Amino acid sequence: MFKKLIEESTGKSPWLFHINAGSCNGCDIELVSVLTPRYDAERLGFKLAGSPRHADIVVVTGPITAQSLPRVLRSIEQVPEPRCIVTMGSCPQSGNVFRGSYSICGPLSKYVHVDVDVAGCTPKPEAVIDGLALATKILQEKRRAMK
Amino acid sequence: MNMLSLQHFPIYSIMVLFLGAFLIVMFGRNKVVRHAIALLATFASFFFMAALFRPVMLEGETIAYWMGGRVPAGGYAIGIALEVDALSLFFGLLVSCVVFIACIYSIQYMSHDDNVPQYYTLFLMLAGGVMGLVLSGDLFNMFIMVEILTFAAVALTAFRNTANGALEAAFKYLVVGCIGSTCILAGTIMLYAQVHTLNLAQMSALIPGNLSTATKAAFALLFIGFCTKAFLVPFHPLAADAHGAAPASISVLISGVLTKSGIYGLIRLSYFLFQSMALGTMQFWLVFLGSVSMFVCVTMALAQHDFKRLLAFHSISQIGYVLAAVGLCTAFGVSSGLYHAMNHTLFKGLLFLAAGAVLHETGTTDLDKLGGLSKKMPHTTVLFLVGAFSISGIPPFNGFASKWMIYQATYQKAVETGNIGFLLVTICALVTSTLTLASFVKVTQSVFFGQLPKEYENVKEVPFGMRLAMGILALMCLAGGLFPDAVTRYLTEPAARAVFSVTAYINSMMGQGYAQSAMAVQPAVPEMSFASAGVWSPISWLCLLMIALLAVTIVAIAGKYDRVSVRTPESLSGKYDLFYGGEETVYSQVGGDDLFWGFKHNWRHYFRFMHELHSGVVNDYALWAVVALALAVVYALIVL
Amino acid sequence: MIIDALKYLAYVLVFPGFLFCFLTGLLLCGIDRKLVARMQKRVGPPILQPFYDFFKLCGKETIVPAAANRTVFLIAPLVGLAGLVVLQLFIPVFSFSAFSNVADVIVILYLLLIPALSIIIGGASTGSPYAGVGLSREMVTVLSCELPLVLVLLAVGKKVGAATGTGLCFSLTEIVRYQMANGSLLWRLSMIPAAVAFLLVIPGETGSHPFDAAEAETEICEGMLAEYSGAPLGVYKLSHAVKLLTMTSLFVMLFLGGIGGRLEALVYALGLTGGAAGALVMLLSVLVLFLLCVLLTAVAISLVHAVTARLKIEQIFKYYWTVVAALALLSLALAWYGL
Repeated sequence: MFKKLIEESTGKSPWLFHINAGSCNGCDIELVSVLTPRYDAERLGFKLAGSPRHADIVVVTGPITAQSLPRVLRSIEQVPEPRCIVTMGSCPQSGNVFRGSYSICGPLSKYVHVDVDVAGCTPKPEAVIDGLALATKILQEKRRAMK
Repeated sequence: MNMLSLQHFPIYSIMVLFLGAFLIVMFGRNKVVRHAIALLATFASFFFMAALFRPVMLEGETIAYWMGGRVPAGGYAIGIALEVDALSLFFGLLVSCVVFIACIYSIQYMSHDDNVPQYYTLFLMLAGGVMGLVLSGDLFNMFIMVEILTFAAVALTAFRNTANGALEAAFKYLVVGCIGSTCILAGTIMLYAQVHTLNLAQMSALIPGNLSTATKAAFALLFIGFCTKAFLVPFHPLAADAHGAAPASISVLISGVLTKSGIYGLIRLSYFLFQSMALGTMQFWLVFLGSVSMFVCVTMALAQHDFKRLLAFHSISQIGYVLAAVGLCTAFGVSSGLYHAMNHTLFKGLLFLAAGAVLHETGTTDLDKLGGLSKKMPHTTVLFLVGAFSISGIPPFNGFASKWMIYQATYQKAVETGNIGFLLVTICALVTSTLTLASFVKVTQSVFFGQLPKEYENVKEVPFGMRLAMGILALMCLAGGLFPDAVTRYLTEPAARAVFSVTAYINSMMGQGYAQSAMAVQPAVPEMSFASAGVWSPISWLCLLMIALLAVTIVAIAGKYDRVSVRTPESLSGKYDLFYGGEETVYSQVGGDDLFWGFKHNWRHYFRFMHELHSGVVNDYALWAVVALALAVVYALIVL
Repeated sequence: MIIDALKYLAYVLVFPGFLFCFLTGLLLCGIDRKLVARMQKRVGPPILQPFYDFFKLCGKETIVPAAANRTVFLIAPLVGLAGLVVLQLFIPVFSFSAFSNVADVIVILYLLLIPALSIIIGGASTGSPYAGVGLSREMVTVLSCELPLVLVLLAVGKKVGAATGTGLCFSLTEIVRYQMANGSLLWRLSMIPAAVAFLLVIPGETGSHPFDAAEAETEICEGMLAEYSGAPLGVYKLSHAVKLLTMTSLFVMLFLGGIGGRLEALVYALGLTGGAAGALVMLLSVLVLFLLCVLLTAVAISLVHAVTARLKIEQIFKYYWTVVAALALLSLALAWYGL
């Protein structure tokens, strides 16, 4: 019974941890707008967590600069299982306009398994919510697979 | 007379300590002999005191002992006397018990020092001095014992004279301590000239009826003298220096035992010799002095960044509680004050021993340098936490039980007298308790928790003997908090009764009926009520907590709460590192010095003022002593 | 004997112990989040959101950092929760009190420190610098709330003591009984400032906006909780929710105890007697207590949350020791001079 309860709850209370990996700040602002009264992702249980230890979903924005790469990976590692990794915007997927630059190490999928990609520069809030909802489903799956 | 009769036990318990001191001088070169003598002497002293528990505490006897059998003749007590009533025995038990525990601790604590025989000699002299002081029935002998203990304490403060500041601390202590001793001597002489006797009981009968200018001045002198011994507020900077410099086992004695002798002197002086406690202003000044001590010293402690100095200031802060409660002049107040005096000795002893353990292993007590020792010294950490919770008044430890009584007592007094001043004391006491907690949170964070600096990676747990001494004290702290009824019934209430039964004290010394004939005004005995307005039963609370904790634990274990992932040595990932915003782990301990910035910022003017006031110059402190003396004299001449 | 033991066990485990605390605490928390959302014109999370959060956290991995002291790290949350639940046992529900002769309000004041200490020690045991900053702020917040709280409790003790003729009264059961006979303290002139002060202390004690500098998630990563994950974090969140219940029900019992008398009068006016009346009174009491707690949460926590921004730690201290303490002191002075 408790297992079922925990599974259900996992889908209803995803906490986000946001990592900026050299983003231009566009996606970051857009992520915050998801929590504003207009879109109000909190009605789905989303909440921004302060520390990776509390997070379920890691949202990465920005093209993964050389400077930020080890920090991004360390922070992702510190998130307890089950966890989901969502990339937001085109940068972490392809490098976007920064592609080919000497200081870019992206895409993120080279280093860790990325669960959801939300494309766009920047993606619309609706798209972000859609991506996060998908990530929540995956999270629930992962929880089911545990133990 | 039978050598084993209880009559002789008080003098034995003093003598064994001095005897031990001399034996160690002679035969103390050998380590085993030295420790055996010290342990035996301190234990025997405790034993003789404990043997008196039944007749004095339970049956209410007062034991009078005349040296050489020189009993009073012709209405004058010329011989040297020891007198043990419940008050003396209360302090005697406390002192001898803590001395014994400190002695156990010393064995391993002092093992790396030079000149250890001298240490034990001075240690036993100090202990003997305090025992003599609390058991003496003679004012001049009290002075002699004060001298012995002061000089032993000064020498012990400077014992580790290679350490930074030890000699300076000893010098300061010597100067101000001597001012205090001189005051006591001068007061004694003036009283002797007036009443032609030095016996406490006879003086208590003769002085209150016929106060002259000289006796009033003598009161002020003695008062200031004993305040110096208790390190009350104008004299508190000395304590900080002395405790900081002395070895931990001596700090225990200075804070737990020496300050108690000052409190004991004040009680004898104001309740017995002058019976001045019925005066409203006298109560006010004692309570005021206590409150100022408790508040000023706790804020001083918050600003410290040395473990032992911080403890030293807390020591006086707690003595402030004791004095404020004793100054209430109600049975409940005195009883709660004595209870707190006992608890203070226990938990402060424990804390100093814990500080000593840290010093023993790491070589420093600087809060800014230490950190994370809980993983290396788990037992010491737990014992320290017991002490810290006790002193901060966290239920169910002993500090809470007695502080709670003090809150009730002061508030009761305020309601009874309608005096709003006592209400302020209650508030001050309640807030001081939380400030105490704050400064112990600071110690907890910056010594035992937080990050472990590189240089202390190889620190080990302290030897068993030291943990044993701390463990005994910790158990006593817990027991004292869990059984407040037993403690008050068997220890503090008899002692509080003794405080108010001056007539019985005089008569048991000078012969039945002496007090009635010699005293102009018979002292009024207040209503002896030990009832409190509140309810607190620690045992029930603990049972409930245990049930609740058990329930939580069962649920937690059933829910696999303890199946946690802990780093295996071979895994090199950053998963188990601390979160530094993604950075690699770096040493960034949040130091103790400025931990309570939010608090200190609002009080910055006060702290700056205090900082400037505590110049560290001995001349200033001597000046404070003289000013305090002058004020006391003026007060005594006008009001008494 | 066994019946008694079972009864006390039921008190601890079911009502007013664990189960009650768990359900109402988390429910209060959910209502608070919903209310704040509505005040900000958001839909807001479902009312059961804190339950989801709690169970989710139970299903997460618990990471013990390598630098932490494992035992302390895991035990501290449990002790804090147990201490808080036991504290809740001493707060009566109008005429019903599970354990009336164990602890008075002054003891409760210090028992309130135990949960705060558990979180401080738990955080400190990780060695995280965020926890270091967080515990410093938490301790200062506790210090800030202490003075007004002390003054309020002394004022109430004096007021009730003077009215009942005992001089001073610290027993919570007695205070509630007095109010049930003589009407709530909130309607006395001298107690109004104290009630306001207590209302202002509630957000500080529970560490909610704008007094949540200790757990500021955007600047110090939730301070002492920075390294906690999984079930222990869930236990801390639960403790926070229970503290909400503790503080609000303490307010109800200190200042609105008279409502219990009204309830009893109402039930007896219906003509009920005996066991049925007792059961109905009990049921109504719990219901009314819960509603009042919701109301207080709405006023003291949600509304304040929605209209304020986080204060700096020294501002929190200053605010409590000046404005709130002055209110409480005014009340104490009025009570002292018999108003």
